[in-house]
Amino acid sequence: MSETPGQYSGNLRYAVDIVLCIDTTMSMRPVLESVKSSALSFHERLSTVMAEKGKGISQLRVKVIAFRDYGDRADDAMEETDFLPLPGSAGAYEDFVRRLEPRGGGDAPESGLEALALAVRSPWEKGLDRRRHVVVVFTDAPAHPLRSPAAVSSGTYPQSIAASEDELFEEWGYQSSQSSVMENSAKRLLLFAPDEEPWRGIADNWNNTIFFPSQAGDGLDEWEMDEIIQTIVNSL
Amino acid sequence: MKQGDVLNGYAVTTKPTNAGGGKCVWAFATRGGQEFFIKEFLEPKWPLDTSPGSAASKERRRADCLAFEQRHEHVMDRLKSDAVGGGNIVTAEAFFRDGTTYYKVTKRIDPSNLTTLAPLSTHQKAVVLRTLALSLQQLHKINVVHGDLKPDNVLVQKRPGRDLYTAKLIDFDDSYLAGQPPDPGTVGGDTLYGAPEWLDYIRDGTGTDGAALTTAVDMFALGLMVHEYLTGQRPGFPPAFSSPADAVRAGQRVTTNPLLHPDMQHLVLTLTDGRPRRRPQVEAFLDAMDEESVLEYPSSVTGHRTGRPSGGRPSAGRGSRLQINMGPGRGTSPGTGGLPAPRPSPGLLPAPDAERAEPESRPSRVRFHLDGRPPAAPPPE
Repeated sequence: MSETPGQYSGNLRYAVDIVLCIDTTMSMRPVLESVKSSALSFHERLSTVMAEKGKGISQLRVKVIAFRDYGDRADDAMEETDFLPLPGSAGAYEDFVRRLEPRGGGDAPESGLEALALAVRSPWEKGLDRRRHVVVVFTDAPAHPLRSPAAVSSGTYPQSIAASEDELFEEWGYQSSQSSVMENSAKRLLLFAPDEEPWRGIADNWNNTIFFPSQAGDGLDEWEMDEIIQTIVNSL
Repeated sequence: MKQGDVLNGYAVTTKPTNAGGGKCVWAFATRGGQEFFIKEFLEPKWPLDTSPGSAASKERRRADCLAFEQRHEHVMDRLKSDAVGGGNIVTAEAFFRDGTTYYKVTKRIDPSNLTTLAPLSTHQKAVVLRTLALSLQQLHKINVVHGDLKPDNVLVQKRPGRDLYTAKLIDFDDSYLAGQPPDPGTVGGDTLYGAPEWLDYIRDGTGTDGAALTTAVDMFALGLMVHEYLTGQRPGFPPAFSSPADAVRAGQRVTTNPLLHPDMQHLVLTLTDGRPRRRPQVEAFLDAMDEESVLEYPSSVTGHRTGRPSGGRPSAGRGSRLQINMGPGRGTSPGTGGLPAPRPSPGLLPAPDAERAEPESRPSRVRFHLDGRPPAAPPPE
């Protein structure tokens, strides 16, 4: 899918960055296995669907943020990759995803907002002609507020993220925003999450956000991987 | 929105989807026993008192929302469904805000399953293309560019009780006044049907002025579409490029199917000229449709093939070359540009009783509230 530099002279160059924020607590085991089994074919399926739509992607990068709960498991509450170009780094992407194991998550809320905050501050592509910056959140649970005391005292809490949900909202931004870190026309947020706070509030207030409510605790069973990929492609 | 929600009296009956792309999700809905198409806009979002962000942030967001509302109201107010050609423009039944989110509702259109006009007779094809062009003419007369003209935004519907099909033009959410498009990051359009000047506009660093985006943008798309409707494929272009606009922008021409009538090939090439002022206006296209023989295409040729046509230049000398009256140079002025008024052929214009909007079906647009109050109950049927 990624073109050879200079191969298409004068073409509209389209850069796509995708950040997958995946809840890897125990209840997510069924979906996680599905994600793993699709890891090898993800970029191929994406390029097939894009070709059917007659669209070409000049540069595709994927970043994975796997989250659990800082208040429960400080040592592995957050694992993330850099942006991995596909298909060139498909191996590294696959290796990372295969190593993810569903663990922990005793109480209902998880550290989903921290994962979202990290995703927002990703080093998004700023070049080429048109860009699409997609954050996808997969979770079956609500989220702790940012900087909850139990999370901050874990010792591994990320310091370089928004300090509050208001600040995170401003980082996500809006059309006339003066403090956004996201490019307004490029960004999309796809929420596969329960219909409860904070996800309901984010879906209501954040622009360019699509909410696919799942049944809390059911591990997103009702979403087929193909449907999720199609939804991601539709947003490109 | 979710399946089962009731928004301003419209009950959402299907699972919302973002299929078709764009900045929306959509679903089908019912109200009063009728079926509708409901679209949820992903932006902007109206800030409620309980919404996140500072007071200053909310003030800026409200200004964004007001500009959004005005743009949509402006286009909707200009589109009259009872004008000639207007009966095939699917206008909004309602445009409202529910909480933070904007919605637009249109009547549900059940399209035929035609993906190409190839199975139709020449006369049937002429009716489809004329009704499409008449809808476009109405837009262009009021100086509005559709902005996202492509087959997905044209629903071909069989006329009840008649063996004819008409084209219903939908989705005006990316429309703009000629020469005044939204900023390059926001302007809509599809790379497969976009015009070269549109491509330049959205590509960072070219410095192309929005004034270059006129109704000629739609005519470029129309040229590609008419070729696709007749043959099942868009015109070809060199493989080094990813779209017709990209190729034309680099000085190439699209290649037309040699089985098309030479005058149709010439029309397609003229419509896809890289110079916007060289493209015919919609009135000239309508005139061209009067000569139905130009729509002939061998019915034994199947519509869909993979890959691009292997080439072919329009054959010269067969039949008379169709003269396309360009009229005066293109600008932002509406009107026919000095061309004679289109001559309606019998059966090609919508019959008044079948196509003209009945008074009770005129859009009864529900006005939204700006202070966060929920919209009022819908007016009685």
